[in-house]
Amino acid sequence: MISFEPSEDQRMMQDAARGFAKTLRARMRETEQARAIPDDLQKIAADMGLSMIAIPESCGGAGLGLATAVLLEQELAMGDAAAAFGLRGPGAFGLAAVELGTEEQAARAIAALEGGFGAVAWGESRAHADRPGLCTTATRDGDGYRINGVKSYVLNADRASAFIVFAQIDEAAGWNGLAAFIVPKNAKGVAIGAREVSLGLDVASISGITLTDVTVTEAARLSGNGDFNAATVRFFVKNALINAARAVGLSRTAVDVTREYVEMRKAFGKPVAHFQAVAFNVADRSMDAAASAAMVLRAAWMWDAKVPENDALRTSAFAVSHALEAAMRCGDDAVQLHGGAGFMRDYPVEKMMRDAKQLQLCAMPAGCADQLAAAIELGRPIDLGLVLPNAESQSALI
Amino acid sequence: MIDFSISSRQRDLRDMIHGFARNVIRPQSLAWDRAHGIPDEFLSRFVMMAASMGGPAGAWGVQGLGAATSEGEKPAEGAKKASTAMVSTVLSAEELSWGDAALLLCLPGPGLGGPPVRGTGTPEQKERFFSIFRDMSQGLKWGAYALTEPSAGSDVAGIRTSCRRDGSHWVLNGRKCFITNGGRASWNVVFATVDPALGRAGHRAFVVEKGTAGFSVGKIEEKMGLRASETAELVLEDVRVPNENLLGGEDSYASKEGFMTAMKTFDNTRPIVASMAIGIGRAAYEYARDFAISNYALARHTPRYSVIAERLARIGQKLEAARMATWHAAWLADNEQPNAKEASMSKALAGQASIRACIEAIEICGVEGTLQKDHQLLEKWFRDIKVYDIFEGTGQIQRIVISKRLFPDLKSF
Repeated sequence: MISFEPSEDQRMMQDAARGFAKTLRARMRETEQARAIPDDLQKIAADMGLSMIAIPESCGGAGLGLATAVLLEQELAMGDAAAAFGLRGPGAFGLAAVELGTEEQAARAIAALEGGFGAVAWGESRAHADRPGLCTTATRDGDGYRINGVKSYVLNADRASAFIVFAQIDEAAGWNGLAAFIVPKNAKGVAIGAREVSLGLDVASISGITLTDVTVTEAARLSGNGDFNAATVRFFVKNALINAARAVGLSRTAVDVTREYVEMRKAFGKPVAHFQAVAFNVADRSMDAAASAAMVLRAAWMWDAKVPENDALRTSAFAVSHALEAAMRCGDDAVQLHGGAGFMRDYPVEKMMRDAKQLQLCAMPAGCADQLAAAIELGRPIDLGLVLPNAESQSALI
Repeated sequence: MIDFSISSRQRDLRDMIHGFARNVIRPQSLAWDRAHGIPDEFLSRFVMMAASMGGPAGAWGVQGLGAATSEGEKPAEGAKKASTAMVSTVLSAEELSWGDAALLLCLPGPGLGGPPVRGTGTPEQKERFFSIFRDMSQGLKWGAYALTEPSAGSDVAGIRTSCRRDGSHWVLNGRKCFITNGGRASWNVVFATVDPALGRAGHRAFVVEKGTAGFSVGKIEEKMGLRASETAELVLEDVRVPNENLLGGEDSYASKEGFMTAMKTFDNTRPIVASMAIGIGRAAYEYARDFAISNYALARHTPRYSVIAERLARIGQKLEAARMATWHAAWLADNEQPNAKEASMSKALAGQASIRACIEAIEICGVEGTLQKDHQLLEKWFRDIKVYDIFEGTGQIQRIVISKRLFPDLKSF
């Protein structure tokens, strides 16, 4: 029976997250300048167990499900949408390990992080000249594999103690020839590139990874539990929902801050909110935020409720696409309605606008989500080259 | 607890309506559109069938606009468990509207006239005006809601139809327009003013019964879409209405409450109208999807395919956004929480998303999508949908409602 009401437990966690978000907002510029979340804030987040919410209990997580995770991610992002990218925890690595690995592999890989960062090395900055698929290759080497290639756009690469590396294992099979491996940072042949500076979410650390004759054992390979491509898509979509929840939080807070500002700011003898052009704009953006929140929550619930996979994928794709674009509109209009003040770093909205653009390029951009939804609707097979971010379509931070 | 599952009863009802919409309603949809109406015989059978399926809840749970807006439909007072009536209604309305949107507007019953009678009528008035719908075996009956005038649409406070007390009667003069089922209604709730200068405080609501001297039906409109639904002009020339037909009695107009109560009915009807719009939008969306599957060589990654895929996904995304806003507004209503803002959001989002859906669907189907043929209803949906961003409050009016909720100090622009 349809209900938008969080449970008592969820509400308590939301309250706690909201309190933490206030602190994050108060120290938003500090963390931005430091380009890292300070230890005292890391400790609060760790004590709250925020990073393990969606990880199943069998893999050492809290097992509270995606719906709870998106509720909390949204609250945190209302404080600072960038913060979650700088908080320690398995993050995308955890979701990928759970989807692609066996329970045992996932549990061990997540535990090995010891509460620290993990990372997923998916992206590449250039497409292979002669065939579809990834340039990074994994070739048989005795009992294990030898990995070679250059990865790009890896979130928290320099902070992670282990990676899940995607590579081409069958060069003739295009996007159907991928494999994934757990690679510890200290493996021989792993070199982390220099940290990039980015438009938004700069508290996350972005860099590339070069893998030169990195050898891993068979046990490091994540098989996808039967259907590797399906598991990969599930990972991307769930990770994208978490990202979309951050976009929802950003949208809501951008609308809130703007609503307060336009009520306070006077021009032509009255609050600017009392001009229709301004009020309607805020009304449109609040609709954006409200619809996104409901869509993301429903999509997350669908995964928890184990509805047929294509239904969950399609609904998630719609939610992701809508939430990311809505966040961009909310950030953009927030600055617009603040006028010149919005452009100044004295106000939070310019950061929200930059973060919104960066969020659009995390996990699964709207363009990819659209292709995924359409493939399901049109009854076409899900083509990884079309629905996942890559050098030939639209790359993204993972 | 967060939950987006629908109950087995809701699902059964929805599936049943869907099957009926596909197999029975759609094949006749274009004929109704051309004939400017749905035969009474069909409506009678539909109402009987709906009553046997959904019990007294009326037309398969489609309340608010249909037969179910009678007095018997309020959830039991003091019931602890939240009602699911509105959520069920929006689920059903989307499905029925997916079949044919005009059918919902044609359903016999008090229609939009129901909420003001229920909200402001005295017990005697409720009994008098609702009792005629209890047995329609001798003929179908409708109620209607007459507010709009040629010079007062969104600006409802600006109505000019006058009312003047004359002993035991009131005398009404004026014109009403765009009144759904107004011509065939057994009674119309007619809004009039004792003095336009008083604004809303001067408004009175009367139940004007068919056949009252001086009350006549003017033009029946020719419309772009929803052509099977009757849209009438009403003319009031020295219409003498007994005091007993003043809704709520004179005392209830001492405050503005009487009028405001009548307006509040829209908080509940807006999500229903939103879900009807979504039904049409979804019909267009699915049509375009199926057209693409059968007409395009999807196995080839032609650039055109990518464009189609993206267009489709955009439509689907916007419809899903509107649907979630609508479910939320309906859920709030079921839980007796304020939902004026959310109801307006659902209506504004649904109107826009569904119009976009029809526009884009034709874009995908090309010329074929514009051709009127049996079993080819896309051009009809395009015609039907536009008014959903206009009636029951235009998209702009919804934004005014939302703005006033966002900015409590904002009295007017």
